[in-house]
Amino acid sequence: MRRIAWFLILLCASVVARTQDLKIPPNIEKLSAKAKETVEVTMDAPMLRWASKFLSADDPEEQKAAKLVANLKGIYVRSYEFDDEGAYSSEDVETLRSQVRGPNWTRVVGVRSQRDGENVDVFFRLENDKMAGIIVIAAERKELTFVNIVGPLEVDQLADLSGEFGIPKLNAREVSKASKGERK
Amino acid sequence: MSRLDDELKRALRRAEAPPGFADHVLARVVRENRTRQAAISGWRQFFTRPILRLATAAALSTALVAGGAYYRHAQMEKAQRAEGEAAKQQLMLALRIASTKLHLARSKVNDVSDGNQNRHEKE
Repeated sequence: MRRIAWFLILLCASVVARTQDLKIPPNIEKLSAKAKETVEVTMDAPMLRWASKFLSADDPEEQKAAKLVANLKGIYVRSYEFDDEGAYSSEDVETLRSQVRGPNWTRVVGVRSQRDGENVDVFFRLENDKMAGIIVIAAERKELTFVNIVGPLEVDQLADLSGEFGIPKLNAREVSKASKGERK
Repeated sequence: MSRLDDELKRALRRAEAPPGFADHVLARVVRENRTRQAAISGWRQFFTRPILRLATAAALSTALVAGGAYYRHAQMEKAQRAEGEAAKQQLMLALRIASTKLHLARSKVNDVSDGNQNRHEKE
């Protein structure tokens, strides 16, 4: 009996661990059939280590990238660009958003624009007040993008990227405060 | 007749070969043939020895295997390098997309906050 209980505990733990390291919902993958341009990047930890070996130490952009990905567990990107508006449904976007409804996830940015129809959500996954992942869902009129960066990602590191990749400078304190406030 | 003509005639005058010249030439040809044959038979002798033949075959095989292995290793390294470069490009693309979308979020937040500020100023 005790063995069965242990087995169930382990099973639950593995399910929880899997859901925390969520990846790409399968229904989103189907959108590539309709898309004019599709970008699909799937890089788990070994792949990231492998790719970062080829980053040049002489190139400042690649140097920063190497530093950023050093401790990451995965980067998953799906970006679909369509010819026409309405190629994806609001349910598709909602499926993406529903992936990040959990105690560890905090929405730090949520923009709904009726004017230009561009909606952007940024979620941080926090563990012991440290960033453990980030998800960006950008739903534009003719483009849908889902970015999932898994792993210990310091806010400073993210801010450090600004300039090199055009990432906006995020105020680490504000982000931390906002996320704490939302979790309460 | 000029002096030059005399000199030419003298120079081109038929001269008889010294006695035994043909014998000397033939003897020399035979001698050279023998030397060459002796050298060839020396090499043949080298390869007729079984241990030497085996050693030569082994050396050739080793050279072939080593050459093949080196070529294969070089090809594999080249392929791995190409795969690594492709992975790097993917990584950079992913980071660029992530940065672009974060920038979009940032600009949207700025738009909203600027709009609110303007509204407050008007009020």
